[in-house]
Amino acid sequence: MLALIYFLILGVIAVGGALCVLLSKHPLYGALSLVVTMLSLAGIYGLLGSPFVGVVQVMVYAGAIMMLLTFVIMVLNGARDNRTPRFDKISLFVIPAIILMALMLSFLILRTPLVFNPETARGTVSLTAATLFDTSASGPGYFLLFEAIGLLLLSAMATAVILAKKKLGSPETSDSEEVH
Amino acid sequence: MELQPVYIQILALILFALGIAVTLSRRNVFFVLMGIELALNAVNLSLVGFAKTLPAMTSITGQIIPLFTIGVAAAEACVGLAVVILIFRSQDSVDIDTYSNMKG
Repeated sequence: MLALIYFLILGVIAVGGALCVLLSKHPLYGALSLVVTMLSLAGIYGLLGSPFVGVVQVMVYAGAIMMLLTFVIMVLNGARDNRTPRFDKISLFVIPAIILMALMLSFLILRTPLVFNPETARGTVSLTAATLFDTSASGPGYFLLFEAIGLLLLSAMATAVILAKKKLGSPETSDSEEVH
Repeated sequence: MELQPVYIQILALILFALGIAVTLSRRNVFFVLMGIELALNAVNLSLVGFAKTLPAMTSITGQIIPLFTIGVAAAEACVGLAVVILIFRSQDSVDIDTYSNMKG
């Protein structure tokens, strides 16, 4: 009962933040609403018994990714582009399609019998780490995926540095940079 | 009234639909990126919610895959924001309709 009350409170906050993202005018307000949504989702993860995922959500999503997004919004100063309308005519066709998709998926979800398993494991740090770095031959092999994610993040960082560098070598981009 | 797994999936569905709506209907490019992040968050919530319906060692899998999703989302935000900076320098606009000069 108490879990349901907490879930409802956190869920209403999450949906409210997502609605603010959909309706807010300035991208900075949208980013801050998205931080609220992510923090309440971290609370739901803790409520469901996955505290490690919740902490990673707070640190990586609400901390790192949204900090990067907010930083870029402030650097590029998107506020001066306020004449851009929020929605256009295509949105009128997109929104009913999304509502239809949500209705069909909710029909599918409501027809599926789902119950909480009492033997489910709590995703603590020790158990998650023991499964993630199980290097035995019969293990699930998640450590290879972990290495692959590390390489992906490294290559993404290198790509971002190369892309965002001032001089790209090609004459068109250097010309257009001198204009602005 | 207890907390049911269906409620978690419904919440994940609402957040996913809102994320897709933000991505497809907003015109500011930052909102497009934020919509993608929101949809990824909803998928993470759905995975954790389904993991709680499984027995012990199987449910740990459902709580590890969101970690990989978060890592991929971090890489995606990194590259996506670099691309946005690059396009913003040449177009001087955050309206995605002005980015249409890449079409063939």
